[in-house]
Amino acid sequence: MDLVLRATFVFFLILVVTRVVGRRELSSLEPFDLILLVVIGDLVQQGVTQSDYSLTGATTVIVTLALLTVATAWLSFRVRRLRPLLEGEPIVLIADGHVLERTLRRERLTRTELEAEARLAKIGSLGDVRFAVLETNGRISFFTT
Amino acid sequence: MTELFADIEPEPRGRFGRDAPWLRRLLLVVFAVLIALVLGGLTGQEAMRSEADGPRARLTLSAPDTVRGGLLFQARVEIHPRVAIAKPRLVLARGWLEGMQVSSIEPQPASETGVRGNVILSYDRLAPGESMTIWLQFQVDPTNVGKRPAFVLLLDGMRPLATISHTLTVLP
Repeated sequence: MDLVLRATFVFFLILVVTRVVGRRELSSLEPFDLILLVVIGDLVQQGVTQSDYSLTGATTVIVTLALLTVATAWLSFRVRRLRPLLEGEPIVLIADGHVLERTLRRERLTRTELEAEARLAKIGSLGDVRFAVLETNGRISFFTT
Repeated sequence: MTELFADIEPEPRGRFGRDAPWLRRLLLVVFAVLIALVLGGLTGQEAMRSEADGPRARLTLSAPDTVRGGLLFQARVEIHPRVAIAKPRLVLARGWLEGMQVSSIEPQPASETGVRGNVILSYDRLAPGESMTIWLQFQVDPTNVGKRPAFVLLLDGMRPLATISHTLTVLP
């Protein structure tokens, strides 16, 4: 029983942590971020299964996490109000050709990073961009004029 | 359609295709039932309390009856003598030690011996009303799967005073 409770706690803890950390950090994994994620994964495993080496324990935890994933996806699908909390919302970074500096600061994004993302989208200048949207998966969509 | 999409059916059919959401739903129901059973105590670890009441002593055992590989767990034995027990001896069935790592037994017995695979822990004299609690800490060997007897018997010398029947099941 405690396995289910620990897995549930960790599931919601990770949900909150990913919301707090921000989508950009999670979508663009630098080596440091990657190692940190591996370390977090290891700590989570120790906290959830502790000394339990059994198949029963592993099955319980995996099934619990699977059910919670489906449940949150279903809630997000059915309850519109919960969607920003569970999945986040797209955020407009450039509107009508104007870079929204305050939004960039809030998302801890520099103009240089925005320009780099634009180059990756094969856009030569931010002046050509009409809208840029930070999607819930951390990637940036550009719409040119 | 390009050759990259040649193998992809626009509307998959068959038992595991898009038109068979029942399979996914059925598995989710199975998962939910499994978790409900786990929450109900199917996978053990919760300590069960058992008691044996004899005319000369009462014996209680608090220990899980189902454990899993790698798990650390505790068994607590309490002896409540009604009369003086000159040579209190606690017999632990082999199931307590077979494939188990014994982390500690506190208080430590004055002596230990074994008879027919069972372990006998001998303690000093107990006066009437002088209860004694023995804590046994174990860790389960992950390869130690199955069910085994794990009774606890209280003796005064060779004389049985109280017995608690207990079984230990180790899940894979």
